[in-house]
Amino acid sequence: MDFEWTEQDTVFRARVRAFLDRELPAGWADISRHGPGSREQTEFSLEFCPRLAAEGLLVPHWPSRWGGADRPTWEHFILGEEMWAAGEPRGAQYMNVNWIGPTLMRFGSPEQKQRYIPPMAAGKAIWCQGFSEPNAGSDLARLRTRAVRDGDDYVINGQKIWTSYAAMAQHCFLLARTGDAASGKAGIAIFLVEMDTPGIEVRSIPSLIGHGDIHETFFTDVRVQASARLGEEGQAWSIIGYSLANERTGIPRYEMAARVLDEMVHELRRRGRGEDAIVQARAGSVAARCEAARMLVYRTVDMRSRGEAVDAEASLARVATADADQAVTEFGMEFLSDTFNGDAYPAFLAHHERAIVTGIAAGATEIQLGLISRRWLGLPNGVA
Amino acid sequence: MHFAPNEDQAAFLAVLEQMTQGPEAAWTTSPDWSRYDYSERLDEMLANNGFFECAREPTLGLAAAAAMTYKLACSPALVECAASSMLRASFAPDLPRPVAVIDAGPDQVVPFLPRAAAVIRLDGDAITVARLGPDDVETVESLFAYPMGRLRAGAAPGWEVVPGSVDEARSVWRVAIAAELAGCLKGGLDAVVKHVSERQQFGRPLGAFQAIQHRLAQAAVKIEAAYWLTLRAAQRRGKQDSTLAVGYVQEASSRIVLDLHQFMGAMGLTLEHPLHRWTYRARLLRSQLGGPAANLRDYYASKWSDA
Repeated sequence: MDFEWTEQDTVFRARVRAFLDRELPAGWADISRHGPGSREQTEFSLEFCPRLAAEGLLVPHWPSRWGGADRPTWEHFILGEEMWAAGEPRGAQYMNVNWIGPTLMRFGSPEQKQRYIPPMAAGKAIWCQGFSEPNAGSDLARLRTRAVRDGDDYVINGQKIWTSYAAMAQHCFLLARTGDAASGKAGIAIFLVEMDTPGIEVRSIPSLIGHGDIHETFFTDVRVQASARLGEEGQAWSIIGYSLANERTGIPRYEMAARVLDEMVHELRRRGRGEDAIVQARAGSVAARCEAARMLVYRTVDMRSRGEAVDAEASLARVATADADQAVTEFGMEFLSDTFNGDAYPAFLAHHERAIVTGIAAGATEIQLGLISRRWLGLPNGVA
Repeated sequence: MHFAPNEDQAAFLAVLEQMTQGPEAAWTTSPDWSRYDYSERLDEMLANNGFFECAREPTLGLAAAAAMTYKLACSPALVECAASSMLRASFAPDLPRPVAVIDAGPDQVVPFLPRAAAVIRLDGDAITVARLGPDDVETVESLFAYPMGRLRAGAAPGWEVVPGSVDEARSVWRVAIAAELAGCLKGGLDAVVKHVSERQQFGRPLGAFQAIQHRLAQAAVKIEAAYWLTLRAAQRRGKQDSTLAVGYVQEASSRIVLDLHQFMGAMGLTLEHPLHRWTYRARLLRSQLGGPAANLRDYYASKWSDA
């Protein structure tokens, strides 16, 4: 057991930080404030990611065959920590790096790989993820968007919701049902759809979590070629399983949470409240919850780096991460509520908008607790 | 960063695992319904095989001692391990054991003192130790699942100062408390998971109800996090990591103990079931070193004020 960074890791982190210090503009906090799905941040990512790619910092963990440098899992993770803590200047492109790219490498046709992977590695591709529907959220296998074969094409009809980045995305990683309504997981296929295909309509949903971050996406007689299907009909569930195994750990949210807490404490100290015993005990408690999340996440990264399958360990990490994110923003709202007025504290606002999503997006906390119950504690299948 | 044990640590923990599966570590009720069951046999087996000295082995280290303390605390039988394997091994390896620790003044009522061969004091500017004679200690009746006692008024064991930083010793002691507390919570959780998996109500196991599942899953998250925070603190031996580890698990423990008793129902209120062996150690350990708020304030000072 060794819980220290290697020198190689430390050097790599310093390199990423130096790059961010150099490349993020003076007004970055105001851009980041709008949220990862905003027009401001998306446009910035299209300038920033090509620079990251040129520096070898966009997809270093990818195989060299696809523009990477075969770097270790831990470096990929350090990169993710630094990017998220800086407000995620990659915008939506973190998804390409973490799981869409690797999924296409594994399951894509030669044409799909050639078409989609090089733009991702160059930092020029914006994807969205067409998963959730109005009646299929946590219970994703009930999705109803249909893709009906018509000669060499499929015709897609249906509706997606909560689609992050949809308004700015060029492509959609879309789940649609090719089987009958009762076919469940076995009747779903994945389609790689161009967002400018006729019949796709995107509506932004005004929200608490950043400008333009979530959307409804309507598909009306959207015609795509059969070659847009990723894998076979009915293979979607196993492909998504692979994608999630690449990204079970999720976003390293505790890193931004811990840094924002640090800023909050410094602000309280500037205001003369640093000796307040209640502030001290509460700040310590919130910091401990951030570190708890960090250790559980690091454990999953360590398992991945050794080629071990990550199972319920990822759910433990996600529950702890949601707790940490909430704890930090609640701390700020309790002791520094005035900083959430106006826009003088963009980092607190940016973190708040991200934190309130954490227990909901990418697998709700209750889903994670169910997984922990069954797969970690060995309890029987649950009933309400 | 490697979370997996090295080869020596893995072998050490595998043998320890076997020993804690044996009858020496198993639950037995005491004829006098005592709140604890000190396993002389397990203590002797561990001592004879050098387990309490593991922190002094370079390839095992304090992290192995913390993992051992955690593992032994998962068992319903009691053995004095935290102070012996971590503090004594690090600062006073020649002391006889079992060992008790006084960290808050000479009148403090502390675990293990009635059975201890030696005591370590961390409440001054130096680490002081003494071997105990038969008249130095008085036993104190207690709710807690330990043999509890205090130094008898007027007791004058031969105190001696041992080399080493008392600040570092306090950090090691915080890690020891954190490891023992996390292990007690894990032992209790495992017992409750077994109970709710077997006990049927409304035609299904209690553990099939989400109301119970989710609270036990939340307990599991906190216990697992506490375990890794503790091992990291064991490696670093510093104030910041140790205050954080012990403060975190102390804070988490009150809700976990409440839930464990809740789901064990009336059975958990009896002395015929071992749940109290874990929870009434946990309740004492939660209060140690000033309790969670004090330890988390110490963390605050270490991270934000001391610099």
